[in-house]
Amino acid sequence: MDSIVKRLSGRYSWLLFALAAAFVCAALRRWQLASAFEEATGLPIPGAPASVILTCVLMMAAAWFLILAVHQPLSNRPWTPSQAHRWDLIFLDAGDPVYPILVVLAAFLALGAVPFLLRTGLAQWQVYREAKAALEQGFDAQLPTNNGMLAMATAAGSLLSFLGLLQMGRDGLRPGRRGRGGFSAALPGTAGCVWLMESFRGHAANPVQWDYAPLLLAIVCGMLFYMDFAGMSTSAARPRRLLWMAAMTLVLSAAAIVSALAEHTLADLLLLFAQTLTAAAVLWRLPPNLEKPPTINGLPFPMPHGDLTL
Amino acid sequence: MENWESEVERNWENTPAPDPGPEADQPDPGGGKARKEASDGRDLYLNIRVLVIMMTAFVLMFTFVARIIVVSGPSMLDTLHNGDLILVWSLGYSPKQGDIVVVTQESYQEDSIVKRVIATEGQTVDINYDTDTVYVDGTPLKEDYTKERMQIPTYGEGLNHVTVPEGCIFVMGDNRNHSADSRFPGIGIVDTRCVIGKGIAVMFPFHRWKGL
Repeated sequence: MDSIVKRLSGRYSWLLFALAAAFVCAALRRWQLASAFEEATGLPIPGAPASVILTCVLMMAAAWFLILAVHQPLSNRPWTPSQAHRWDLIFLDAGDPVYPILVVLAAFLALGAVPFLLRTGLAQWQVYREAKAALEQGFDAQLPTNNGMLAMATAAGSLLSFLGLLQMGRDGLRPGRRGRGGFSAALPGTAGCVWLMESFRGHAANPVQWDYAPLLLAIVCGMLFYMDFAGMSTSAARPRRLLWMAAMTLVLSAAAIVSALAEHTLADLLLLFAQTLTAAAVLWRLPPNLEKPPTINGLPFPMPHGDLTL
Repeated sequence: MENWESEVERNWENTPAPDPGPEADQPDPGGGKARKEASDGRDLYLNIRVLVIMMTAFVLMFTFVARIIVVSGPSMLDTLHNGDLILVWSLGYSPKQGDIVVVTQESYQEDSIVKRVIATEGQTVDINYDTDTVYVDGTPLKEDYTKERMQIPTYGEGLNHVTVPEGCIFVMGDNRNHSADSRFPGIGIVDTRCVIGKGIAVMFPFHRWKGL
């Protein structure tokens, strides 16, 4: 019983604090949207309490998760002859369906964003083509600065994210043939680059940073989180940083989700929910596994080159 | 075979964690090939991570610190030309008279516009088209940057006598006869919160590179 409590304590402290901070930040963001901007112009009200408190809470959450990360119990890195010191299969726990369910759900949310992004991109491309044709025929028209390519590239990135997340969910149930569990997280990580550019492009002329800073920060944190996730299957793993990134991804995404709901940007909403679920899955699975890495028949990892004999 | 519940087990109490000594000290039955694969995975990961971190740094810098803006239109001739790429400083900037600023006045258009600050809060602007002179607080401005002699715009004189309210600026283009600026009622006095930043240099084309 004691060992079970010990096993779950890290998991619960991370999840509890991350979800609480996410809830508080979402509520504050909602309050900020309702009270911290002028109705007529949409410009921010200087020193609005909601903005100040939200900033403080975000900074306090970052500091608190840093403290939690520093104190996270960590066993020695597992070692096998072919794979050196890597946290391969650290997300493995065949008896626990929570992780794969969350990650596979995240995969399908990322897939769900594809049609919305494609529709946006194609619409922008159509407007661009029409304006270009009008200019070529000598009509007075203004060429749009956005030709829709970034939105379509983000759709392609979301498709890659779907594949990567699907593989990550599978790796939580059973080890991959090469024991590279986690490396597929690099797919949503790199796809996040395009999403970030698309979001940045959409707000490049917006002088109100509060309109888009939560979204950009959530995407950035999500990208770095996915990259740290991928790094767990290399010898460059940073498990404590991954936990911090996962918690902050959850918190920042919650604030950005409120904005996406207010602006009815469905693609952003789905992608934010996807990274939120993945972060929650990591906070659920990683702390106990870091403390006691899973073993297979007494070995920390499968034998080299997938020669797993059980 | 697929019963992973029985195959995967946690050895909580009995198996001590492996010693994390250096890799070279460990036996290596997998041979150099396997070690190379592990190394390749690390290298690939590090390369991708560098890409992601660079992208992150790029976007964060161009969001909160500085931006690159493309000048659109002839309103700032001869200081800035259509298509010039200018570096704009945003972090901690508050507009000052004479600065070239990038502003977004959504009541006029969603894209940003580039203009020069003529007056800041509390100052009074008087425009005399007959003498081609702009007065700020009664003092004529020495404007060697304007393209040509100022004429009355097609929409009339517009805002030609105004005291700038608190938290606002009065902006004009250097090409006064082809510039929609604070004189134009559709734009008017600009709130400083609409200012994206101050233009500090022309970045491209290279032959027009200069500080602003």
